[in-house]
Amino acid sequence: MTEQEIYADLTAEFGDKIIEFVVEETLNPTVVVKADSLADICTYLKDTEALQFDSLMNLAGHDSDGVSDLSVIYHFHSTFLDHYITLKIFTPREDSTVDSVANIYRTADWHEREAWDLYGIKFNGHPDLKRILLEEDWEGHPLKKDYVAAEFYRGMRIAKVK
Amino acid sequence: MIQALANWILSFDILAGLGNPIAWGLSLFVVSALIFAFVAVNAIVLVYFERKVSAFMQVRLGPMRVGKFGSLQTVADALKLLQKEDIIPRSADKILFLIGPWVILVASVVTFAAIPFSDTLLAANMNIGLFYVVSISSIVVLGIVMAGWASNNKWSLYGAMRSAAQIISYEIPVGITLIAVVAVVGSLNLQVIVQAQGGVGNLFHWIPLPLPNWFIFHNPFLFLAAFIYLIGATAEINRTPFDIPESESELVAGFMTEYSGLRWALFFLSEYANATLVAFLVSIVFLGGWQSPFADYAGAQIGFLVITLVAVMWTLYVKAKAQRLSIYPVGISLVITLAAWLFPGFAVWLASPGLFWMLMKVASIIFLLMWFRWTFPRLRVDQLMYVSWKVILPISLVNLMGVAVWMWLTGEIQF
Amino acid sequence: MGRLHAEEMILNMGPQHPSTHGVLRLKLRTDGEIVSHIEPVIGYLHRSFEKHAENLEYQQVTPFCGRCDYLAAMGSEHGYAMAVEKMMGIELPERVEYLRVIFAELQRIASHLVAVGTFGLDVGAITPFIYCFRERELILDLFEMASGARLLYNYIWIGGLAHDIPPGFVEKTYEFLDNFDTRVAEYNQILTGNKIFIERAADIGVMTPEVAINYGVTGPSLRASGVNIDIRRTQPYSIYDRFDFDVPLGEGAQGTVGDSWDRYYVRVREMEESARIIRQALDQLPVEGDVKSAIPRRIRPPKGEIYSRSENARGELGYYVVSNGKNVPLRVKMRSPAFSNLSVINEIGQGWMISDVIAILGSLDIVLGEIDR
Repeated sequence: MTEQEIYADLTAEFGDKIIEFVVEETLNPTVVVKADSLADICTYLKDTEALQFDSLMNLAGHDSDGVSDLSVIYHFHSTFLDHYITLKIFTPREDSTVDSVANIYRTADWHEREAWDLYGIKFNGHPDLKRILLEEDWEGHPLKKDYVAAEFYRGMRIAKVK
Repeated sequence: MIQALANWILSFDILAGLGNPIAWGLSLFVVSALIFAFVAVNAIVLVYFERKVSAFMQVRLGPMRVGKFGSLQTVADALKLLQKEDIIPRSADKILFLIGPWVILVASVVTFAAIPFSDTLLAANMNIGLFYVVSISSIVVLGIVMAGWASNNKWSLYGAMRSAAQIISYEIPVGITLIAVVAVVGSLNLQVIVQAQGGVGNLFHWIPLPLPNWFIFHNPFLFLAAFIYLIGATAEINRTPFDIPESESELVAGFMTEYSGLRWALFFLSEYANATLVAFLVSIVFLGGWQSPFADYAGAQIGFLVITLVAVMWTLYVKAKAQRLSIYPVGISLVITLAAWLFPGFAVWLASPGLFWMLMKVASIIFLLMWFRWTFPRLRVDQLMYVSWKVILPISLVNLMGVAVWMWLTGEIQF
Repeated sequence: MGRLHAEEMILNMGPQHPSTHGVLRLKLRTDGEIVSHIEPVIGYLHRSFEKHAENLEYQQVTPFCGRCDYLAAMGSEHGYAMAVEKMMGIELPERVEYLRVIFAELQRIASHLVAVGTFGLDVGAITPFIYCFRERELILDLFEMASGARLLYNYIWIGGLAHDIPPGFVEKTYEFLDNFDTRVAEYNQILTGNKIFIERAADIGVMTPEVAINYGVTGPSLRASGVNIDIRRTQPYSIYDRFDFDVPLGEGAQGTVGDSWDRYYVRVREMEESARIIRQALDQLPVEGDVKSAIPRRIRPPKGEIYSRSENARGELGYYVVSNGKNVPLRVKMRSPAFSNLSVINEIGQGWMISDVIAILGSLDIVLGEIDR
């Protein structure tokens, strides 16, 4: 299936939960969906006979400018039907919360922990949401554009990023 | 040997007044010092040997910098180890931690007292020599458990527990294979066992192939027993493929993880002492000990002709495989063979039993152990137990029975 | 009747341990020798690649990519360069494409040699490791000839290569390939068919295709489970569609499909396939061509985003790059194969012994540099 068809299929199934279909400014046609129905959409993507998206290739957090909403991007691939789709959700900067898909795609487990670690996006229902790359007591989420590094970490000076 | 040394001391007029007990004590001290010196020097040489052997097997050069061809490298390493700080972990059980390595070392050194190096070179001619060696050498496991437990480190504990299970399991098949030989000789005295293997005879008594009267060629069951013993003994001294107690890639360094400096060197020393002991036992029990493989003058000449033939074939094989001619094997064996034909004295020397042959056999077995180590992967702990209890033990039991039946059939033993 | 159950013990494997392939820490919950739960703790080698990338110009990110997967730096650079090139729509000269394939495949062989060798090391066979490094050394010599560096190259640039290959490179590569088959036979002799090795690797840590795909396992570890997915084949990038090569799959020749032995052997066979690709690429390599002709003067990809995948030595290496039209990327996310490959360890390593966990970890072939980034 092409991405256009998958989008049509998703719209038919979920209606107004699907916000838009982005083909401009991206090389991976992206379906923007509402954050609250993400887990349902993922289950649908995985279990539907015609879609069979069994592989979540990548999950990335993203902060475009430090002011607007954070986003999470999901890249799916079906290993049997060999087609691709990209989902994108937006979540508010402060107290951002997204449904976890770690129980649907085990890949997401560590990737969601990474997004939490670096972007501070909370994933509801994640089995073990804690920092993965940084220390447990690190302050802030460094990949947010408005992140300001603390001066010291456990008495060690943190180098300034120019 | 101790009594002989004491008598020798007393034979001097000046020293005759010492009296037998003091002279005996003095000789005891000298002999013990000699044995310990042998073990220590042996370890240094073997470490060098091991590094060079492994290097040549792995297309490397090995140590090359200290001394000619790196020959002093292990001496330098030993000196370094002596100077290193002796670290004792704070939470370790101090007393056990300190004496653990010594228990292992003592257990592995004192076994050499019963080993006949040649027909005269023997510290203590015990009539239970074999039993003594087997029983004393299993004290090693006590030291390992002590060291592993006292370190208060989980890796050390794993190493010690694995080691205890392994050594105790392999004691049994090893003991049984040795009993098979004892059944043939009828004595536990190691010197008697070696003396029983002199001369030349047919392979397995009836195949017309003249071979030395070694027990490995005595009958098919002993032939098998030799290999079982070698496998079991490799496991007992914790060498690859049975090196699970110190398995480097799993348990860091097993029971010696927390040790450093001199105490760590002691583990090394006893490891090589144990390897040497096993090599000695294999040569004594199965390969005729200090008996020459060429039991007489004619035998020496024929033997070296065979060696030359093998060397020629080997050279041809190397040439075919690597397109490169190596004349050393042929050259050297040709020189030996010619010398054996031209100078009867040389042949007679080669044919006569002695320390030379003993050490040659020991060196070959040790080389074999090193070959194992640098070729095989390591078994897993349960596979190791499987091999011991379900493969080697039944085979060795059947083997023991086979030896008995063989002895009965050939009439060497009457019931 | 239950098994004798003693207290469970937490065993801390790493961050300093001979077999964790870097600074990985595994928290093992053990019952005697049996491991009941594995929790990998990562991050000890975190060097903030993604944060750095957001503060550097596009071409300055390239060397950082190599530092992530330091055992397959060429492949990492290749993946990144392709992502940016696709965004900018750069057409590469033929010669650049061929040389990139040659280097990427040489790098795959070099990386698999380390994987195969260290797997041997993990199960206690020391000699094959040194044998593998002997060949790897020859490949590194080739890399040194071309780029001047032996480990981290910064050779594949956006739009081209740093230099053309020096004279004599092609001949030397042919020479390497001519000897390579006999060397592979040597590994098979000393390790692959070894009875003890088979005992240690076969049937250990079986990964079913469903588990593998669900956990995002890619590369040789996925193919060992019998899943025929190789991005060079399924979504051909660069010029991989021009070469004739097989995708080795796990067949369970010594045990079950997807066991550690399969993961090992798939790598051995992939090395042979890579050698085939390199030979074809060398045969077809265009003589003429300036490798720097397509390098843009100013690298400013148009506003947009891309998720570009490539098949690196360890699996699917994806770059998610977002551009806002400036010369500094807005976001570079590296989807590193070893990151997902490692996450499966608890699933397939549970219930095995400590020694097996080491073997399974070795068979997954992780590089901590790209896990922690």
